[in-house]
Amino acid sequence: MAVEAARSLPGVLKQLRTLLEPLRKEEPLPPQTAVGFFTDTSLCIGCKACEIACKQWNQLPAREPVWAGTSYDNTRELNAINWRHVLFIERLGRHEEGSHAGGGTAGTVAAPTELPFFNPDRWLMLSDVCKHCAHAPCLEACPTGAIIRTEFDTVYVQQDVCNGCGYCVVACPFGVIARDALGGTARKCTLCYDRLKDGLEPACAKVCPTDSIVFGPVDQLRQQAEARLTQLHERGLREARLYGADDTILEGGLHAFFLLLDEPAVYNLPERPSRPSRHVLPASFWTALAALALGLFGIFSFRRR
Amino acid sequence: MQPERQSFSAWLATGQALAQRLRQISRATGWMDLLAVLSTGYHPDPEREQQEPTYYDYPALKEPVWRWEIVWYFFLGGLAAGCYFIASLAALFGGPEDRATRRAGYYLSLLALLPCPLLLIKDLGRPERFLNMLRMFKVRSPMSMGVWCLVSFSFFSGLSALIQAARDHWLGHWWGAHWLARLPQRLLALPGMALALFLGGYTGVLLATTSIPLWSRSKMLGAVFISSAISTSSALITFVLRLSAAPAAALHKLERLEWGALLSEQLALLAFLRGSGRAARVLVGHGPAEHGPRFWRFVAIGGLLLPWLLQTRLLLSRRTHSEADTDGMASQRPEQKRVSLSSLWLSLLVLIGGYFLRRTIIEAGHHSSRDARTTLWHARAAR
Repeated sequence: MAVEAARSLPGVLKQLRTLLEPLRKEEPLPPQTAVGFFTDTSLCIGCKACEIACKQWNQLPAREPVWAGTSYDNTRELNAINWRHVLFIERLGRHEEGSHAGGGTAGTVAAPTELPFFNPDRWLMLSDVCKHCAHAPCLEACPTGAIIRTEFDTVYVQQDVCNGCGYCVVACPFGVIARDALGGTARKCTLCYDRLKDGLEPACAKVCPTDSIVFGPVDQLRQQAEARLTQLHERGLREARLYGADDTILEGGLHAFFLLLDEPAVYNLPERPSRPSRHVLPASFWTALAALALGLFGIFSFRRR
Repeated sequence: MQPERQSFSAWLATGQALAQRLRQISRATGWMDLLAVLSTGYHPDPEREQQEPTYYDYPALKEPVWRWEIVWYFFLGGLAAGCYFIASLAALFGGPEDRATRRAGYYLSLLALLPCPLLLIKDLGRPERFLNMLRMFKVRSPMSMGVWCLVSFSFFSGLSALIQAARDHWLGHWWGAHWLARLPQRLLALPGMALALFLGGYTGVLLATTSIPLWSRSKMLGAVFISSAISTSSALITFVLRLSAAPAAALHKLERLEWGALLSEQLALLAFLRGSGRAARVLVGHGPAEHGPRFWRFVAIGGLLLPWLLQTRLLLSRRTHSEADTDGMASQRPEQKRVSLSSLWLSLLVLIGGYFLRRTIIEAGHHSSRDARTTLWHARAAR
């Protein structure tokens, strides 16, 4: 008996090892250069080629055609099936309305005669996308480990792991990641992870006819953005600014950053979003304090005769 | 006869007028406005808010996907945690009169806990993958910590209830039941209590660790939820004990604990509203997308302030009774019966308030995510 049990032991061990296999942590792939997008809104013409190219490449379904009713932008938002979204910010006739929209355009009023295209009486367009934050709140929130940082330093949702808990949806300060009603998992821009693996640039950057969307190594893009900003400032476009190119947003900056022609709120972008994982400690502190007080009060309540 | 009838109809008319006036007051929103401004410290200025830039008021955040399942999970999870906490307090520090509290607490804890995993799994987009929650142990993610806490707390709650059942001879008289009954329930109570407090409070921390302005601006939701977990649980146990005619001394302790928990909940809720300022407007205001009517009626006043005041009165009257208790036991009996009926109502009010606390906070969070102006203000304003 004892001998037989000993003989089957290796078999049992092997079985055990296969059972525990899913728990084994895989070695991460060797890191590559960090890549990202620089989206220069001063070049965007609102053609929506990026939206379509993204849908084509990633085989995302079309959305029920619904009129926004309030704007020319019928896509309206980034969500589980729209991973690029072109904003159409109508600025025509704004100067006639006076100071209606706040102090945002005050600096650009002088420009029109020199640069007709950049006068404030125009459309602002921006091709919005997942920001691939250096400290991504969605990744920090994810309880299953479905959201990972790839070897290209991008943020990627593993569709076979995500169980659709929805925590990343409320963690994202940009309202990017969304839970799909069809698949039930969280989805967002992958920065064309499959194309990156094959050495191709993402579909939206590839297709952009004005090079408003530029793909490349993050460091290089940041230099390019700085140069472009200087150029625009020299031409008198005071309102131009970079969003997410330095380390100020979410403590590490964004790997998909923007050059804006007005304040971020005009593009529905939060100016200085807080990093949700920074809330854990203060929130836990107050909870623990309340729990301690209640515990002591409870002991007191039950002790006293 | 004539003058008497007249006075009766006059009395009736006055009564009707009074009722109408009361209805007017409760329907008018002036008092709610005043409370909203006082509690949040934020004076709404629609004109200035209208001038803040946004993108056609399209939401700047995604709407949460959490609905009624999560509301009930927060409520029942709080009850499971609080009942375990109270039962353990009774087991560790209570006297022989608290035996009923301990029993009811351990059973109710397990009962409240049973639907929790089902609710959580149903809420997932891919319910069949619920085990993926156990792939990680992520200290930074309150949801990951919460899942681990729920799993380990289930062990303690289940085992404590089993031991209790064995001791109550519900499991029969075989060797397994005897063995279970001999297990040290009080030794389990200590780690179980710590986990219970974690379970009752982490839900608030989880909501605070998001980008939704209402949930995350002040960091007090955890303190609110843990207090509410204990107040609703003591209300539930009191309710059950009162129905089963438990000793008055045990009820008295529970009432005192409930009083303290209600006080702590009110303070935490006030700090939450104050700290949230404009972000809390969606919870306390009475606009079309705001949840003030429900919040003030069922939570703040009906579920907190009113029961707390009643409880204070009850405790004070108990004290005077117990001082004069030495001889006249029989004379006070009808009085006590009346008190117990009113305190059944009191427990119900607290329980309803606890449920609506979670519900209004979750639902107002949905509206908070849709409000681009407040979201952008939240990201702009200094914290």
